[in-house]
Amino acid sequence: MTPPILAAENLSMAFGRFLALKNVTVSFDRNTLAAIIGPNGAGKSTFFNAISGAFAPSSGRVIYEGRDITGSPQHAFARMGIAKSFQITNVFPQLTTHENVRVACQMRRARFDILTPRESLGDLSDKADRLLGTVGLAGARKRPAADLAHGQQRGLEIALALACDPKLLLLDEPTAGMSPEETVGMMNLIVRLAAERTVILVEHKMKLVMGICQRVIVLHHGELLADGSPEEVRANTEVRRVYLGQNV
Amino acid sequence: MEAFRPQVDFIARHRVAAVVVFLSLFPLLVPYQALAVNILIFGLYAMGFNILFGYTGMLSFGHAAFLGTGSYGAGIAIVHLGWPWYVAIATGVAAATAVGMVVGFLAIRARGIYFAMVTLALAQCVYYVFFQAETYTGGENGLRGVEVGVIDLFGWRLDFVDPTVKYYVVLAFVAFALWFVSRVLGSPFGAVIETVRENERRAQACGYDVARTKLVAFVISAALCGLAGTLRALHLSIVPIDSLHYLTSGLVVMMCLLGGMGTFFGPFVGAATLLLIEETFTNLTRHWQLITGVVFMACVLFFPRGIWGSILHWIRREGR
Amino acid sequence: MADVNLFLLQLFTGLALGSVYVLLATGLSLIFGMLTVVSFAHGAFFMVGAYIGVYQYGVTGNFWISLVVVPLVVGTVGLLTERFLVRPLYGRGIDYPLLLTFGLSYVLIEIVRIFFGVQGIPISTPEGLRGAVNIGVGHFPLYRLFLIVATAVVVGGLWLFIERTRFGLIIRAGARDPEIVRVLGIDISRVWLLVFGLGTAIAGLSGILAAPIRAVTPEMGIPVLVESFVVTVVGGMGSLAGAVVAGLLVGVVFSLTSLYAPAFAETSIFALMALVLLVRPQGLLGRAGLMG
Repeated sequence: MTPPILAAENLSMAFGRFLALKNVTVSFDRNTLAAIIGPNGAGKSTFFNAISGAFAPSSGRVIYEGRDITGSPQHAFARMGIAKSFQITNVFPQLTTHENVRVACQMRRARFDILTPRESLGDLSDKADRLLGTVGLAGARKRPAADLAHGQQRGLEIALALACDPKLLLLDEPTAGMSPEETVGMMNLIVRLAAERTVILVEHKMKLVMGICQRVIVLHHGELLADGSPEEVRANTEVRRVYLGQNV
Repeated sequence: MEAFRPQVDFIARHRVAAVVVFLSLFPLLVPYQALAVNILIFGLYAMGFNILFGYTGMLSFGHAAFLGTGSYGAGIAIVHLGWPWYVAIATGVAAATAVGMVVGFLAIRARGIYFAMVTLALAQCVYYVFFQAETYTGGENGLRGVEVGVIDLFGWRLDFVDPTVKYYVVLAFVAFALWFVSRVLGSPFGAVIETVRENERRAQACGYDVARTKLVAFVISAALCGLAGTLRALHLSIVPIDSLHYLTSGLVVMMCLLGGMGTFFGPFVGAATLLLIEETFTNLTRHWQLITGVVFMACVLFFPRGIWGSILHWIRREGR
Repeated sequence: MADVNLFLLQLFTGLALGSVYVLLATGLSLIFGMLTVVSFAHGAFFMVGAYIGVYQYGVTGNFWISLVVVPLVVGTVGLLTERFLVRPLYGRGIDYPLLLTFGLSYVLIEIVRIFFGVQGIPISTPEGLRGAVNIGVGHFPLYRLFLIVATAVVVGGLWLFIERTRFGLIIRAGARDPEIVRVLGIDISRVWLLVFGLGTAIAGLSGILAAPIRAVTPEMGIPVLVESFVVTVVGGMGSLAGAVVAGLLVGVVFSLTSLYAPAFAETSIFALMALVLLVRPQGLLGRAGLMG
């Protein structure tokens, strides 16, 4: 049995007197597709932010490949191979789609190089084109990101996340605001991506993840409610009670 | 416009050469050489500022600190230490860079709108420091006697008092700065600062250390403004205490926005516009700053792209 | 014993000086907390307030009228500024209102120069507030004592207004989340208009209050703007309590260094600011979230 790629140990997060996350312990295996679900206010986003480095948890530890990375600065995460997409689309609006991804690809090679021409790093441009192809945006490479449709911007953000060759991909509600067709496309993309790396996604549409994930973690009121295969979670009476009336 | 596409692309590819050629001919267009030198120096000042404001998206209201430190650094090197002019320029740039590091280190801790306030306050602190070091800086009267009569260039003697010679000597430095800035903007780092302007959080998530990137951009910007300051000291033969004044910080903000923030040539257009407004109206009324203020407000309200930025936008739209 | 008295007297001088900062920073914070706009014209409004007040005082010979007229006039200028100049810029990024108000400060300075000349104008300490009173540790100028009391009255009144009135409730809610106000069916743009007017009125009032202890010149607003920014950074943006604490602190630091190390008087307040930035970048009483 290989050690988990990521483990959250007793994570808690307090905002003032409000405990958004209470002692959550979960670990994630390599090359799996896992989903964190739960009703609104369950602490999904807080958990996501704590494991993706947006802020340090109030207590507890985040272990990545056996190393304690709790409280590491945000930029260190991408360098370690943990990439993320945001719940609200976050791209570089005035840059072209291609430049968006190209600059993200550049991170491991040149961060403070002020005198080499960008063109001399031509392979990065090719890599950017490949990634744009992966997310289906090859035809939009010259358009400013701001001009893309919402669904396309979400795809672009996935490409940005892939640029650092992540071993672990964290996606916060990747289908938020998407049309049903776009949602299907995104889910297919996620399944393909999960074949080569670990993907953890936060989702509040439970039905969406049940069919594709190997692992489902249910949070409720900031606490871990259930953790297991989709079948186990579906059969869990506690989960049924929380999702009262919903067709699980 | 489509017909000129190759020409436009050609100029864009050779932007440094294009600007240098234009600036070489520029003195023919302005009433007298001293004004042309001024426009050149303030254009350089605005170009240094633009790296931070236009490309990295950080609005500093304290860049007079670097212009002024550059001026005083060069001035003190010449007046008090008797160093040659080229060492004085290096001294001024080094001093401005050092002040840029300290101010930058403190100011980048303040994000968003705080940044403008903190840079303004720290620049005022620099003002007081130079104001009080009267022995070296001349205090309120400024530092007098920054005389450079003849520039000896490998046996080639240039009369720096002759305004035309002065213009082309200054232009040589500006040309170097243009090359350097073009290189930086075209470098991988130039791409990173744009991501910081566009979206700090995303840049961080992509693995870029935003704080350090900002600091490096800040220091490069300060060094260029310092170079402008050293040239100004040599040009004026005096360092007025106004060099460090809040309004000098504000002036560069106005020039950059008026010309077109985030454009390569815009800062020179902005500097020329503001200095020509001053030149034109200063003879008509002592209240020419009223016109400056109104023009700037109109620019903020109605033409945020600025003059050169609007022209570029028009060319691109027509060309599409 | 004499040393202690000297120290205490200087402390009081600092509080008087700080009072002006408190008023200025309160106005800035009020506007920022509500509109997330930093007014670079705040110093210019302060200067305009001083000029209008001094002019009025010269005409009627009654200083007290100024304390009513100045906030009304400057507040009206503030209303017009928000309505016609700042409002078109909402949604275009935080830098634009700042740039616009910077341009406005240029214009206001020049207008005052046109009407009142480029030189400053003199003002004598108002009748009834001249002389000094014994405050136990020595004689203290009456006008400075008046400054402290006047500031306490204004800040106290403002506090009551914000805590006890319906409009104050809206301000508090709006500072937290403009959406709440919108959901309640209140026209947020009117609230913003009035808050901007109120903030500038306070700036104008502090101008006339400070006039007798400062030189009244067209440029008097510039150092004041810088100093009120220092206070705001030290206290924490958008925090009224922070404005009060930091305003008094900055005044006291300035006046005590003037006494013990006069060469560092001007720079001391910036050192204080640098220290706060290093230790607590969000300001003494600021919320970390507001910095973004």
